[in-house]
Amino acid sequence: MAHVTVTDVTKKYGALPVIHGVGIDIADGEFVVLVGPSGCGKSTLLRMIAGLETISGGTVAIGGRVVNDVLPKDRDIAMVFQNYALYPHKTVADNMGFPLKLKGAPRSEIEAKVRKAADILDLGKLLDRYPKQLSGGQRQRVAMGRAIVRDPQVFLFDEPLSNLDAKLRVTMRVEIKELHQRLKTTTIYVTHDQIEAMTMADKIVVMRDGRVEQIGAPLDLYDRPANVFVAGFIGSPSMNFVPGRLSMASGQVNFVSDKGTVLPVPEGTPDHGEPVIYGIRPEHIDVRPDGLSARISVLEPTGSETQIFAHLGGDPVMAAVRDRVAVTPGDTISFRIDPYRAHLFEARSGRRL
Amino acid sequence: MRPNTVGWLMLAPTIAILGIFGIIPFIYVLYVSFHQWNPFGASPDMIYNGANNFRRLVFDTEFLTSIAFTMKFAFFAVLSEIALGYLLAQLFMKEFPGRGFFRTIHTLPLIVAPIVVGSVWRLMTTPSIGIIPYLLKSWFGYDLNIGRDATAAFALTVIMDIWHWTPLVTLTLLAALLALPKEPFEQAQIDGANRRQIFWHVTLPMIRPAILATVFIRLMDALRTVDEVWMLTSGGPGAATRFVGLHIWKIVFPKTDYGYGAAISVIVLYLTLVMCWLLYVALVARRERKRTF
Repeated sequence: MAHVTVTDVTKKYGALPVIHGVGIDIADGEFVVLVGPSGCGKSTLLRMIAGLETISGGTVAIGGRVVNDVLPKDRDIAMVFQNYALYPHKTVADNMGFPLKLKGAPRSEIEAKVRKAADILDLGKLLDRYPKQLSGGQRQRVAMGRAIVRDPQVFLFDEPLSNLDAKLRVTMRVEIKELHQRLKTTTIYVTHDQIEAMTMADKIVVMRDGRVEQIGAPLDLYDRPANVFVAGFIGSPSMNFVPGRLSMASGQVNFVSDKGTVLPVPEGTPDHGEPVIYGIRPEHIDVRPDGLSARISVLEPTGSETQIFAHLGGDPVMAAVRDRVAVTPGDTISFRIDPYRAHLFEARSGRRL
Repeated sequence: MRPNTVGWLMLAPTIAILGIFGIIPFIYVLYVSFHQWNPFGASPDMIYNGANNFRRLVFDTEFLTSIAFTMKFAFFAVLSEIALGYLLAQLFMKEFPGRGFFRTIHTLPLIVAPIVVGSVWRLMTTPSIGIIPYLLKSWFGYDLNIGRDATAAFALTVIMDIWHWTPLVTLTLLAALLALPKEPFEQAQIDGANRRQIFWHVTLPMIRPAILATVFIRLMDALRTVDEVWMLTSGGPGAATRFVGLHIWKIVFPKTDYGYGAAISVIVLYLTLVMCWLLYVALVARRERKRTF
C-alpha cells in the first residue's frame, strides 16, 4: 500500500492541452473517486498514473517514488478496465494467475493466491471457464481477481461498472467497497456516475475540462459545493438554479430572481450588488401550506419519492418529496424553502459566495 | 416447418453452380479414377480396372518424389509467407509517412495472374538476359542458372510464391491486428509482460484464428501450384520442381492418361484433407485444454 501524489500534472496531445495542472494527494489506503462528465480528463489522468499515457508536465509519485518514467509493469499497480480486458484465450484461473506467472512465481504460489482471490470473489467454481462463458458481472469479478492476486500498492479502476446493468451495478458497487474495506489498498476509481462517487469514495475529485473543480469528502461536496458546476453535478436529482440578484428590502436581504420571484436566504447574507445564482436541492424543498405558491407542470412518482416539476413565479424548479401528495398537473402547490439549505453562487465566476 | 420455396429458389443459383462446377466434376473424377482411359492410346475406351490406378501410384517413384517436393515447397513457402506477412502487417500498423501508399502498392502482386507471374520471373531469371542472374553475378560472383542448378530452381519457386502470396497474408493479419481490442495489451503491460511475452501470450493467441485460416488457404493453394512453376521451370531441372500439380498435368495432358491422372488427383485431395485435419487437431483442438496450472 502506498500514498499517491499527483503534482501539477499536465497532458498535451500535440499542441492540444487536455489536462491543465492537476494536483491530488491520495493517502495510504484511501478510496478516491475521480468523477466528471465525459471528456473531462479523468480517464486520461488515471492512465497517466498507470503509465499507459505519457505525462507532459508535473509528477506522479507512488509511495514517494516519482514514476513519470517508470514502465507500467514496474509501478506496482493493478488496473481494472471498463470492458474487463480479460485475455479471451485464457481460463479464469490463467487470467488471474498471469501476472504472477510473468513474475516467475512457483506454481504452488500461483495456485494458492488464485484460490484465495477466487474465494474472496466467489469465483471458485468458474476457474476453468473461459471469459466468453461468463456473464458481465462474473467477468468484472475476474478482472478484480486478477488485480487482487498481484497484491499491488494501488488499485486503479477505470469505469468498471459502466457495462453492467443497473441492478448488478449496485451489487458490484457494494462488493468493491467491501473489498476495499477488507484489503485497505489505496484505490483510485474513475466514474462519470456521481452516485458511484458519493457512495464509494472517501474522497471525491470532481473534474471538468482537464481541471479539478473541487476535492473533498462526499458529504462536504454535497453540503458545500465550491461552484455551480459541482453543485449541479453532485446530488441526484440535480440542484435547481435560479438566476437573479440579492436585494435589501425592509432591513432584510432577499434573493429576487430575474423573473421577480422572491426566495429566502440565510440571515446575515451580505448584500451583493452583482448578479448571483440561487441553488436549492430538490430534496430541500418541502410541501407546506405556508410557503410560496407554485404551479405544477409535471409529476414523476417513483414510489419512494415524488418529483414535482413546477413554476415558482416564472422560474422552473423541481422538488423531490417523500410524502405522497394528492395533486395533479395544473394545480397550485405551496413550497417552503429552508433558507439555510440554499446555496448562493456568483453568476459571473460560478463560485460559491 | 412450412416448405420454404422462396428460400430454395434463392439458393438455387448457388446450388446449381456448386453442383455444375464442384460436385459433378468431383464425382466424375472419382469415377474416372477407377478406369483405365487413354483416348489417344491403343485402346481408347474407358475400361473399369478397379483400384489398379491407386495400386500403381503407390509404387510410382516419380509421383512419390513429386509429393515430397510439393510438401517441402508448401512448408517453406507457407512458413515464410506467414512470418514475413506478420512482420509486414506489424510494420503497416505503425505510423510512418506514406503508409497508405505502401499499404496499397504492396498488394499489387496479388492482382497479377499466376501465369504472368511465372513468365515475368522466368524473364528475370533466364541466364544472360535476366536481371537477377546479372546482379547476382556482378555483386556476389554467383552464377544463377535455374536450368542446371536444382537447389536454385527449387529455392526460386519458393521465393516466387512468397513474392506473389505474402501480400495476402499481410492483408489478413493486418485486418486481424486492426480488429484487436487494445485493453488486453494495456492490461498485459500492467501485468508485467515485456514485448516478447506480450507477443507470445497475448498477440499470437488472439490472432490465431486469422493465422490458421491463412495457413489453411495458403497450404491448399501451395499444394496445387501449377502454372507459375510450369512457366518458370517447367518442373525442371530434372524433376527438382516437378510439384504434384505439374505431375498430374503432365500425365493428363501430354500423356492423356486420364484414369491415372484422376487417381492421383483424388489422392492429392485426400492428402490435403489429412494435412489440414492434422493441423487443425494440432493447433485448434488444443485450445480446449484446461488451465496451465
